[in-house]
Amino acid sequence: MLDLHGYGPRLLEGSLLTLELALLSLLLAVLLGLLSASAKLSSSRILRGIAHVYTLVIRGVPDLVLMLLLFYGGQIGINMATDWIYSEFDVDIFININAFVAGVVTIGIIFGAYMSETFRGAFLAVDEGLLEAGRAYGMRPWAVFRHIRFPLMMRHALPGLGNNWMVLLKTTALVSIIGLSDMVKVAAEATKATHEPFLFMIPVALGYLLIASVSEWCFMKLRQRFDIGFSSGGSSWNN
Amino acid sequence: MADTSIPLEINHLHKSFNGNPVLNGLSLKAQKGDVITLIGASGSGKSTFLRCMNLLEMPDQGELIVHGEAIGFKVDRKGQRQPEDWKQVERIRARLSMVFQNFNLWPHMTLIENVMAAPVHVLKMPKAQAREKGMALLKRVGLSERASYFPTQMSGGQQQRGAIARALAMDPEVMLFDEPTSALDPELVGDVLHVMHELADEGRTMIVVTHEMDFARDVSNHVMFLHQGLIEEQGAPGDILTSPRSERLQQFLAPRY
Amino acid sequence: MEQLSTLWQPVLSWMNGNDIFTPNTFEMYWSGLVNTVHLVFVSLVIGLIIAVPLAIARGSSNLWIRKPVWFFTYLFRGTPLLIQLYLAYYGFAFIPGIQDTWLWFFLEDPIYPALLAFTLNTAAYTTEIFHGAIQSTPRGEIEAARAYGMNRFTMLRRIVLPSAFRRALPAYGNEVIFMLHASAIAFVVSITDLTGAAYYIYARFYAPFAAFLFVAVLYMALSFSIQGLFKYLEKRLLGHLKPQS
Repeated sequence: MLDLHGYGPRLLEGSLLTLELALLSLLLAVLLGLLSASAKLSSSRILRGIAHVYTLVIRGVPDLVLMLLLFYGGQIGINMATDWIYSEFDVDIFININAFVAGVVTIGIIFGAYMSETFRGAFLAVDEGLLEAGRAYGMRPWAVFRHIRFPLMMRHALPGLGNNWMVLLKTTALVSIIGLSDMVKVAAEATKATHEPFLFMIPVALGYLLIASVSEWCFMKLRQRFDIGFSSGGSSWNN
Repeated sequence: MADTSIPLEINHLHKSFNGNPVLNGLSLKAQKGDVITLIGASGSGKSTFLRCMNLLEMPDQGELIVHGEAIGFKVDRKGQRQPEDWKQVERIRARLSMVFQNFNLWPHMTLIENVMAAPVHVLKMPKAQAREKGMALLKRVGLSERASYFPTQMSGGQQQRGAIARALAMDPEVMLFDEPTSALDPELVGDVLHVMHELADEGRTMIVVTHEMDFARDVSNHVMFLHQGLIEEQGAPGDILTSPRSERLQQFLAPRY
Repeated sequence: MEQLSTLWQPVLSWMNGNDIFTPNTFEMYWSGLVNTVHLVFVSLVIGLIIAVPLAIARGSSNLWIRKPVWFFTYLFRGTPLLIQLYLAYYGFAFIPGIQDTWLWFFLEDPIYPALLAFTLNTAAYTTEIFHGAIQSTPRGEIEAARAYGMNRFTMLRRIVLPSAFRRALPAYGNEVIFMLHASAIAFVVSITDLTGAAYYIYARFYAPFAAFLFVAVLYMALSFSIQGLFKYLEKRLLGHLKPQS
């Protein structure tokens, strides 16, 4: 039996934290990606400018630097704000920037920028005539988006979304550096204590590969779902 | 007070794209049961005219009155003409169903889902009722067997008949057809025209942009010939198609005889 | 001239008045920059050299050649670089007795384990990029080479690889920027790279904005220079693929 020197349960907790972090970041990234893709396609020059600067900055700066900036800088920013509130209103507030929140926010912001490119391309790939058909029957803009634009767009976005998710999953390892006990952090601590790097790092590496395999399966299922009506499978008209 | 018995009335419509005038003051009045065909060379503005009727294109000037209800316009900050109230536009669009040249059936929905979508999401019809109604309409256009097929699994002619069923599901007061047979293989045109002929016989109000002169002659009661965004000649098909007065219409019709 | 000095005056006085941007810290940033560029450049070059034969092997018809390469890229692309770095760093350091051997001369300096991890990582990604490019060689190019009686090696060297490298250029440009960004984790094994310098200055002066924003701008400048370089290369080398207007 594998002897993990009592680190087994903590490794398991760490892997749960990795998963939670990854899923929450993905949610935020998809929302930000949809928003900024819409901004890039909007007619407002200001919105387009903001969205372009957003992706430009994210593409230029390492994930880790952004994370450190947000984690350490965010804390000081909030401290300055609460100090000011204390001196002005005599109200003492203490907000601690939680490493988990900093992690989710940073990873969400970073991958939101990558997703925005994915979604922008996917939105543009949807035939305008299909949206027009919806409008022509009096559908509200939201109904057109929900029933026509979004499902058709997702078909084009899924491959890019899948790639982004795989990269995002690995990026979560960076939160160990700002002190979150994800599975990498637990393995690093265990390694330092026991001097057995392979015993802890290899299972964690396998954990990432396992999550990746499971997600690949999920994405395959999703692709089938959004491919409905496009696949050559099923009966065809001339039989 | 406007006349509420007239399904659609359009007065002095103007439209230009990037400064190029396309429509130069077109008017039209569709009485109940009218079948009006718009003919003309490509670039004459007939499709743009049709697309202005349900505001897929925004006319620069002119009046649109649906059953006595005039659509209100305002001018936005950029000097573009916009509807005063989009809700009104959506309400009016729901009463004027359009059939497109490229069918535009939604590829991720089955045929029956395509037919049900607008009644459910726009008219808020219960799903079961929309399905029942949709099935009846598919039967009318001869597609009840294809209800659970996806558009990519059907021929162009079947898709267009499906699109007509989708338009009928809204119980439209006026049906707008934008060159419904132009994208079809010649042997499939007949089925679609047959369905349209039946609709006309039922007394539906239809406005049809088409290149099918036989349809214009046999089915419609009014033909408008457009040239450079103006009505060059109009009248009963028996008159203007057999003895065109203007030289341009004579030229337009000539190669066919 | 005079105007220039009046323009500079506020900047100079601000620089004299602050603790963070002093000659000392600039020296630190400079050595951080040197370390980052050194790390990234060396691992990219060695990784590239390894990746070419691996990419060819990856497309081999022999299962025993193809599968191990696939497995290598699968492992290194499927797990975080941070884990690979830890494995390289601790994996050697904790081998009993290693500190008494001549090897320790290399391993004592964390730069070598970091180079090892970075090199293998970029080799794995680059292998897949080249493999994809080789696979997408137009059939006609290969058939033409065959028709002229080229043997497999000549065909690979003269036709397939040159054409594949060009097609791989945009993706490889992204990989270079990715490596630059990924190298920021080097500071966790106590290498003072750019991020390490910023972290030190943050910790010393408790000034996260000055420290991290400054390196963020440096990284951005580096990234966009690399991007510009690859855009230029693409224009030079891929111009023939663009439709002529």
